[in-house]
Amino acid sequence: MKHLVSVALDAAALAGASYADARVVLTTEERISVRTGRVEAVERSESLGIGVRVIADGAWGFASTSSLTDDTIAACARQAVAIARASSLTAAAPIRLAPVGVFDDVWRGPCEIDPFSVPLEDKLALLVAADEGLRTQDVVTVTSASLSFVKVEKVFGSSEGSIIEQSYVESSAGIVAYALGDGEMLPRSYPNSHGGQAVQGGWEAILALDIVGNAPRVAAEAAALASALPCPATTTTVIIDGSQIALQVHESVGHPTELDRVLGDEAAFAGTSFVRLEDLDTLRYGSEHVSVVSDATVQGSLGSFGYDDEGVPAQRDYIVRDGLFTGFQSSRESAPRIGRASNGCARADGWNRIPLVRMATLSLEPGAWSFEDLIADTDDGIYLETNSSWSIDDRRLNFQFACEIGWEIKDGKLGRMIKNPNYTGITPKFWGACDAVCSQDHWRVWGIPNCGKGEPMQVAHVAHGAAPARFRDVQVGVGR
Amino acid sequence: MRLSENQVRALAARVVAMTPADEAEVLVTSNDAALTRFAGNRIHQNVAEENTTVSVRAVLGKRTGVAGTNRLDDDALRTCCEAAVAAARVAPADDGFPGLPAPAPFERAERGCESTRAFDADARARAAAAIIEQSAFRGLSAAGTVGRSDYAVAVANSKGVDAAMGVTALKATVLSSGTDGGSGWASWLGRDANDFAPEALGDEAASIAERSADPGSLDAGTYAVVLAPEAVSDLLDFLGYLAFGARAVDEKSSFIAGHIGEKLLSECITLTENALGAETVGLTFDFEGSPKHAVPLIEAGVVRGPVTDSYWAAKLGLSNTGHALPAPNSYGPLPMNLELAAGDTRVDEMIAGVTRGLYVTRFHYVNVEDPLRVVLTGMTRDGTFMIEDGRLTKPVKNVRFTQSVVDALADVEAVGDRRALIGPEEGGANLAPALLIAKWAVTGQTR
Repeated sequence: MKHLVSVALDAAALAGASYADARVVLTTEERISVRTGRVEAVERSESLGIGVRVIADGAWGFASTSSLTDDTIAACARQAVAIARASSLTAAAPIRLAPVGVFDDVWRGPCEIDPFSVPLEDKLALLVAADEGLRTQDVVTVTSASLSFVKVEKVFGSSEGSIIEQSYVESSAGIVAYALGDGEMLPRSYPNSHGGQAVQGGWEAILALDIVGNAPRVAAEAAALASALPCPATTTTVIIDGSQIALQVHESVGHPTELDRVLGDEAAFAGTSFVRLEDLDTLRYGSEHVSVVSDATVQGSLGSFGYDDEGVPAQRDYIVRDGLFTGFQSSRESAPRIGRASNGCARADGWNRIPLVRMATLSLEPGAWSFEDLIADTDDGIYLETNSSWSIDDRRLNFQFACEIGWEIKDGKLGRMIKNPNYTGITPKFWGACDAVCSQDHWRVWGIPNCGKGEPMQVAHVAHGAAPARFRDVQVGVGR
Repeated sequence: MRLSENQVRALAARVVAMTPADEAEVLVTSNDAALTRFAGNRIHQNVAEENTTVSVRAVLGKRTGVAGTNRLDDDALRTCCEAAVAAARVAPADDGFPGLPAPAPFERAERGCESTRAFDADARARAAAAIIEQSAFRGLSAAGTVGRSDYAVAVANSKGVDAAMGVTALKATVLSSGTDGGSGWASWLGRDANDFAPEALGDEAASIAERSADPGSLDAGTYAVVLAPEAVSDLLDFLGYLAFGARAVDEKSSFIAGHIGEKLLSECITLTENALGAETVGLTFDFEGSPKHAVPLIEAGVVRGPVTDSYWAAKLGLSNTGHALPAPNSYGPLPMNLELAAGDTRVDEMIAGVTRGLYVTRFHYVNVEDPLRVVLTGMTRDGTFMIEDGRLTKPVKNVRFTQSVVDALADVEAVGDRRALIGPEEGGANLAPALLIAKWAVTGQTR
């Protein structure tokens, strides 16, 4: 792989690039799913190629190819330079990159048992058993159990002299039972919705989830949802579980504080942000209970790495501290525009995409409450678990989330089950209404392997640490 | 440079022959795509990609396995074939599997244009500059894309399926924004770059941006709404995905399950899945190599459908409409080229008929709250206007809706007389007119 990178960098320099980097990436994936007793997918795939990014005439160009001969790679590098020169037709100021050290390094993610070495028979047996456990309630008419594994091996090199080799394995598993209610389909998932829980790690992480042991409980909850209360349309106190808090952090803290969005680079597709450059160190983002940190060094998290895809070392950096907005997530291109160094958040979805500002492990720091004490401290409200739907406006202000399940809270106790609860709010007002976050005992890192951004579309694998948290005066039951 | 149609066809046939299974199916996709992206009135990202992928579905009795690679040397292809067979060997038998489809003739539409293939980085930069100029001279900021795709797809199987075609598409989008809260949007999609007029596209978005400056507030409530084609296309995407695939009907997660043949929607609504239409883009065969057929989904408010592939057609006793996705398919068959029949009402006539309502240019971040009733929530964006006494009166800040599409399509009062082709550069696209809907639930507003 290192030879291929060096061919690309040499050709880019000869073609006139003032800066170049190249990434060779091999991604191997395996996906297995069972749906309502039928094996739906047993698939293994691989993708190998090189992407060459250059600056020429002060503008960016990028070209990529899956053909890996010296000649085709050199042609790819020359194409990137030609594209950069075309870009310069409308370029304003020349691209400036934040300085970064030169590294010759190797980084590997954690993995005890390589999932690609585990026999397919064992994986199928696990899923079939979980699916059978889900099909234990009459009202549950559709079930799903899935496993997914990804192995990434990549080499980054730059014309500044860095050469960095990284590899990691990701594993995920999830189960869902769908209950057919009166004119509605009600999902109940474990350990999370949208494919389950995803981590950096191997087969050991899948076994630890115990999807077979949890299947009958999940099916029973799905069945109970079919006859549960509808969500009342009201304004009340909500306590939100860690997995949904993770998505709330993702959508309403993560995306609005990506510096490229704030600068307008994503305006036409994903949108911009309500956060302005001048808000740094002045904007009250939330209450004093809200601290959010970007940390690419969390062991076993989907959002961890040694270096980002611009060769910037992994870092830990506060985005919100005690409610005050203190930092953006940035790249080498965006950071100089606010006079800072990159905090290492530029990542690409494979060899054929450019690095964009992406979340790493962006976490709500834990508070001091036990979950039991938090419920006991709440006179009236709703407890919500597990995301089922998400939507937020193009400036990341007005959001609406729906969850799979909820329970009434009355006089400090969990009460009757609620189906299909949703809630809406405005980002800084919502985080400002946070008056309690549960402790480290309830804090967990949730993997999100489906974060879309950019054109052509890129899907990033990110993560968020979160614990249950309480919010006052939240509108629930929207459109119900 | 991508592989030619003949090359992808030969590669597919060669890999079928390499696969040691009872039956084998090979999908080859070769792609040459480029996209120029601009923001803040300058090109800031400019990318190109060449890739060829091979996917093998191996069948042993009633067992199937799939493997894929983008390495095209003999060793890698052989390893890929063996991986598919190894997966099939351990997969439990699926008694409902009918075997791979037999060959059937498909319509050989011309879907590739040399002008689009030749739309290189310089041409895209000039187009971007022409779009940008329309915003820049008005003191606005333009962001968007000019993207070109050129791909060839082949499907072959051991029963004699041998389908291949090349497809091109050019797509451009533009968001024009002012510092006063106004923004406007326009997009264009077509097969032939000669039909693309960047100045006009830039002017359309900038004009909307100028008109939407200083937007005001709007209370939540139920409003009449005129949806522009871009917004209607979003609704069609979710409708097709959630309701008109055979799996959703079988699992009873679709509102049409048990109601096919019933009039559930406004008689103004006629919706057809039609990959064969003269105006659309994409393939005329599916990812099993079966011919795509035109499928009525709604006829004057009466629900029809669903679309099928070989598996779901056999399972439900229906004919194969040719809507398979690439194997292994976790979604079931889906419509990819929806056509909503045009009506006879101009957009200005729709607006003239509304006493108090909204005009929506497009939606943003739409998601599903209830699949069965197709309850969606999302935001409006880039040109939302109040309609009062038959006139567009003032822009409003983006609003949130939480609305059943099934209910909305039952409340359609008029359908636009002109349609726009809306979709991604690759895959299918929708042909959508504007709609006038009597009741639309606005449930919130941004700041």
